[in-house]
Amino acid sequence: MEQLGQIIILGLLLGGVYALMASGLTLIFGVMHIINVAQGAFLVLAALITWELWKTTGIDPLVTMIVTAPLMFVGGYVVYKLLLERLRDSSPSMTVLLTFGLALVIEGGMGVVTRNVFRSVTPSYFNSSYNIGPFFLPKPQVYGCLAAVAVLGLLYFALTRTWMGRAIRASSQNLDAAQLVGVSATSVAALTFALGASTTGVGGSILSVLFAFFPASHYVWISRLLGIIVLGGMGSLPGAVVGALLLGIAETVTASYISLRWATVVFYLVIMVVLLVRPQGLFGTRLREDVT
Amino acid sequence: MTARFLPSRILPSQHRSVAAAVVALAALIAFPLVAPDDIYRQNVIFQTFLLAVGAISWNVVSGYTGYVSLGQSAFLGVGAYTVAILSLEWGVSPFLLSPLGGIAAALVALVVGFIVMRSRGHAFVIITIALLLLFQTIALNLGSLTGGSNGLTLPLPQWSADFQNFPFYYSMLGLVVLAQIMSMWIRRTKFGTGLVAIREDEAKAAAVGIHVVRYKVLSFMASAVVMGVAGGVYAYYLTFIDPRGMFDILVSVGIVLAVLIGGKGTLWGPVLGAFIVQPLNEATNVYAQGSQTRLVFFGGMLVLVVLFMPDGILPTVSRLLERRRRAHKSVLSIDQERIAQRKPALALSAERAAPNPQQPLLEVRDLTKHFSGLKAVDNCSLAVREGTVTGLIGPNGSGKTTIFNLVTGMMRADGGEIKFAGERIDELHPWERAHRGLSRTYQITRLFKQMSVLENVVAPLPEFRWSHLRAGGISGAEADKAKELLDFVGMAKFAQERADRLSFGQQKLVELAQALMLDPRLILLDEPAGGINPSLIESMADLIRDLKAQGVTFLVVEHNMPFVLGLCDPVTVLARGSKLAEGRPDEIRKDQAVLDAYLGEPEPVPQ
Amino acid sequence: MSPRSGSSWNRGPRSGAGGRSSVGATLVMAVALFAAACGGSDSGGGSGEPASDGPIRIGASLPLTGDFAQPGSAAGQGYEVWEEMINGDGGLLGRDVELVILDDASDQNTVVADYNRLISQERVDLLLGTFSSLLNLPASAVAERNRMVYVEPAGGAPEIFERGFKYLFFAQPATAPHQADIFVEYIESLPEDQRPQTAAYPTQDDPFTKPVIDTIQAKLEELGVETVYAKVYPPDTTNFDSIGNAISSAGPDLVAQGAVFEDGVGLIRSMQRADFNPQILFQTSAPGNSTQYSDAVGIENTEGIFYTVSWSPEADYPLNAEFVKAYDEKFGGVPPEDAADAFAAAQVLQTAVEEVGEIDQEAIADYLHENPVDTILGELTWDETGAPQAEFILAQWQDGAPEVVLPEEVLTSDKIVFPKPDWSG
Repeated sequence: MEQLGQIIILGLLLGGVYALMASGLTLIFGVMHIINVAQGAFLVLAALITWELWKTTGIDPLVTMIVTAPLMFVGGYVVYKLLLERLRDSSPSMTVLLTFGLALVIEGGMGVVTRNVFRSVTPSYFNSSYNIGPFFLPKPQVYGCLAAVAVLGLLYFALTRTWMGRAIRASSQNLDAAQLVGVSATSVAALTFALGASTTGVGGSILSVLFAFFPASHYVWISRLLGIIVLGGMGSLPGAVVGALLLGIAETVTASYISLRWATVVFYLVIMVVLLVRPQGLFGTRLREDVT
Repeated sequence: MTARFLPSRILPSQHRSVAAAVVALAALIAFPLVAPDDIYRQNVIFQTFLLAVGAISWNVVSGYTGYVSLGQSAFLGVGAYTVAILSLEWGVSPFLLSPLGGIAAALVALVVGFIVMRSRGHAFVIITIALLLLFQTIALNLGSLTGGSNGLTLPLPQWSADFQNFPFYYSMLGLVVLAQIMSMWIRRTKFGTGLVAIREDEAKAAAVGIHVVRYKVLSFMASAVVMGVAGGVYAYYLTFIDPRGMFDILVSVGIVLAVLIGGKGTLWGPVLGAFIVQPLNEATNVYAQGSQTRLVFFGGMLVLVVLFMPDGILPTVSRLLERRRRAHKSVLSIDQERIAQRKPALALSAERAAPNPQQPLLEVRDLTKHFSGLKAVDNCSLAVREGTVTGLIGPNGSGKTTIFNLVTGMMRADGGEIKFAGERIDELHPWERAHRGLSRTYQITRLFKQMSVLENVVAPLPEFRWSHLRAGGISGAEADKAKELLDFVGMAKFAQERADRLSFGQQKLVELAQALMLDPRLILLDEPAGGINPSLIESMADLIRDLKAQGVTFLVVEHNMPFVLGLCDPVTVLARGSKLAEGRPDEIRKDQAVLDAYLGEPEPVPQ
Repeated sequence: MSPRSGSSWNRGPRSGAGGRSSVGATLVMAVALFAAACGGSDSGGGSGEPASDGPIRIGASLPLTGDFAQPGSAAGQGYEVWEEMINGDGGLLGRDVELVILDDASDQNTVVADYNRLISQERVDLLLGTFSSLLNLPASAVAERNRMVYVEPAGGAPEIFERGFKYLFFAQPATAPHQADIFVEYIESLPEDQRPQTAAYPTQDDPFTKPVIDTIQAKLEELGVETVYAKVYPPDTTNFDSIGNAISSAGPDLVAQGAVFEDGVGLIRSMQRADFNPQILFQTSAPGNSTQYSDAVGIENTEGIFYTVSWSPEADYPLNAEFVKAYDEKFGGVPPEDAADAFAAAQVLQTAVEEVGEIDQEAIADYLHENPVDTILGELTWDETGAPQAEFILAQWQDGAPEVVLPEEVLTSDKIVFPKPDWSG
């Protein structure tokens, strides 16, 4: 029983970290209906930047995220303006192809500029845990969850309490109407994408400590993230959190009780089953194109 | 001889394409005989052939049908594993077994297709990615069958070293030719027209009788089969297969890139694209030295192509040429004098059940439809008797178009029932309703934009028969019937024009011809007189009267009162989602409730 | 190698009067384009013999980029050190040696293309193998088809030797299933009351590491050691906490992990977080990465970790000291094991060529089947499938440095740390 409890705790902690990573993706999809397949690559890129900073200055990743998040924000803004803006009226499959190409370019770029080796950041707490009763809670995961809560809280606050946030939500629901009341469609879109990218600055920092990564790691992440937002409902922040927690637990339970090899399959199955049975996921809004 | 594979009314340039292809084919056949020691180049060309097979196959499902998938390499893997496992099990040469690889891939496509082709757009792309990775994981984990991560090793080929790679080279070349012939054949048949219709507007395709589920799955299978055979040959070529190599997403990306560059949805684009992408890939490998650079290359090309040349080379080039040609073309206009003069030998009254005067042809009872709180249709009941032109009028927002959508099957009702010729149809798919003789035109026309007018009219299917799939798309009996209908509506001269070049009124006429192609008993016309010039409106009314005389029933939604009251009898009035009044035109004209609904309650005039 | 001048590029614009045959023109152009892109020297007909006064060209493909970039680059360094040494020593058969190394980017299709290229385009005289069983499997098939000797430094998976190849030779002391025999011998040598009673076997799903652990498990089970955990994890596993947790709750005395690198590090961290300390910890590959490993794991935590290697820098085998010195001069630092294996592969080829006296692939293959060869890894011999018949070296981290503990001829430390101390920090 205790064992199950420990497994669930690990699953929840993992889920919290996943929620952090998925938040940006769900925001981008919710507003712009773009599935940014390059989000995984952004995460790895942010992790790489964090690693470089840590290697040269020794500053803890939890601190350097103050630098990486704005950096990714700017990067996201540039990516949107240069590439994605032109595709606003294209079919969604084309945008997926575009962002996939972008992911490859980022992966290749990272490999060319730095060597294609595994890296991870090892601050003092990377191998220690908090012990509560019979359970142990690995410190990096705990910090990751705290960061997740902070980031998601900030996002929620920004979306509901600020003007810009309301503009973003308005655009996602009805772009034309939003434009009529003075919301500039292009700048909202660019801002949203940039905001989504900036969450990877935080996510990447945590990633660098928790998992060894190398340029091709983005595949691992994007399949997980897609599973999470599909389950939670594309475009719903609470959905992303719930989906992440559920899948974190599912992955850990599968790994512990069934087999490690099938643990990642959970995500693929979730993607397929949910998209077929209930395309809007748990909390998302139904897309009109699936009417028939 | 080559003409058999080409649409009958082909332009000389297409003859030349085939001629050019034959020349290239001859060169490729000759190459190994001319340079037998050049294993390296043979190898590169072999890889190009493989890419070409993938590209041509992918084009069927993603180019023609519009379902963009990133999982094409899954079929390669399925074929490779099937052939490798069986070859090791039975001790038979993989060459002989490679057709089985194709069959396996087709079966997988059949099963998977029924499941995944219910999603569209980006959901479909994501599902195909997930599927590919799922297959990879399955191959990794079913170690006893697939060798797991160890992979499978095939014995070395037994033939004399003098022949080296020849068998591989020629068999893969053969597969390219086979795939290309299949692709061209599909495109020329009614099946192909249907696929393009699905791509252009799936809901409309369903409404004109195309069994979209079967079509999509068939196209998926077609895209899988040759790929599966190629997988078997490829496995033998490598002598070693493992899950990561056989279910590699970068192979899919390469295929997508090749087709996008060449021209998605074109006949020759995929082959062209393959012959561009693979050599460039090889060149990157040679000169730039590195997998990372290759990723930047692939990814960068994908980004650039999607941004700047999403149609690909062939369509862009042909568009540039067209622009030159168009400058000299005279402007076509509708042959209004000829409308309704020629009586087409419409098979309208052919094997039709005799009209039953007791029972209305279309009956709607207590029909309800909500859109999150808004009741668009609220317990509405109405009936249409056979042989009439029934009008359906009402103020904006009264639910007229929604009722049309519910009747034709574009939406599911939340309550009530719909009967057509006494049979309940609310559970039927749109194409099943179309097959029973129910067709429709749209308020804003929905033609299949990238197809010609003739193809548009050929696309509808009055019934699903497997033999129909093989029928010629723009030649043969179907095309003749379509031409007659086009003549009937006065649009015969426009047969070769692309549908999106037509004016609104011209599109409406073509849409009517489409509706007639279904041998309909009932046609729902959604604002036939809206947005067209007044002289055409009268011709439209003549057409409708003519068809009524031949036994077609109409339900017409219109705002143009003179048109309605002059043409329709009876007239039903809707307001706020339910029936307000019904009767003869002159009764309706005077009905106070109707006037109130349209004009609003009278305000007391201040004294 | 210079690209062929692309005269085909200078054809006129595609449109124009022949615009309608645009497809045809572009098709033909594409064919010409790839012919130009393939570049390189013209092959022509005839298999010319290499000029007997020019350098001997030896071709190899390596994963210099991609998943196996790290060990692949190390192997490349090993080849280069050998090239320098042999050229400084009068060359091979009196001629200079020229290495032609291509990058296969850790991709199987590329490695096949590369070896085809080396054989038919570059027309190399001799071949050397690539890194990793996954790549060597298809590559060796190309060599075998062309009847060229293929000595490879890093591909010990059993499938490689099950195909009856005549020209294939693996230049390490033993194949994967036998790599850890020496570790099992050590366990067997422990007095019964000290032997571990229970064991856990987490391993990556990799054709190389898995056979190693499978053999250990089978042999230890025969010895009476109970298996309390045995699971295979996919290569893309990032989160080891559930594994660490499961092992911790099973509480084994011995943990033997089939690791590649980062998974070895990951598992150690997860055991630390779960506060679990096995008495004996054995890992494949990972601990052989010297400072990279100790940095990642924490140098105090390496104490007592066992692994097997094919080579030790201090071993007193012929040319070993010179190799270590030459590597240090050229690249700095202690050579990684993969570089040493590559060097040894080249040594094997060199010895055979020198003994045969000419470049005759069949004779070279026959020689290697019948004679042992001295290398920096020790003496190597092969059976008829190309599988080597010697033993690996058992190493252990002690006091922050890797030490050889078995076999006795080459040990650098006569103590063996047992049990493993608890994790620190």
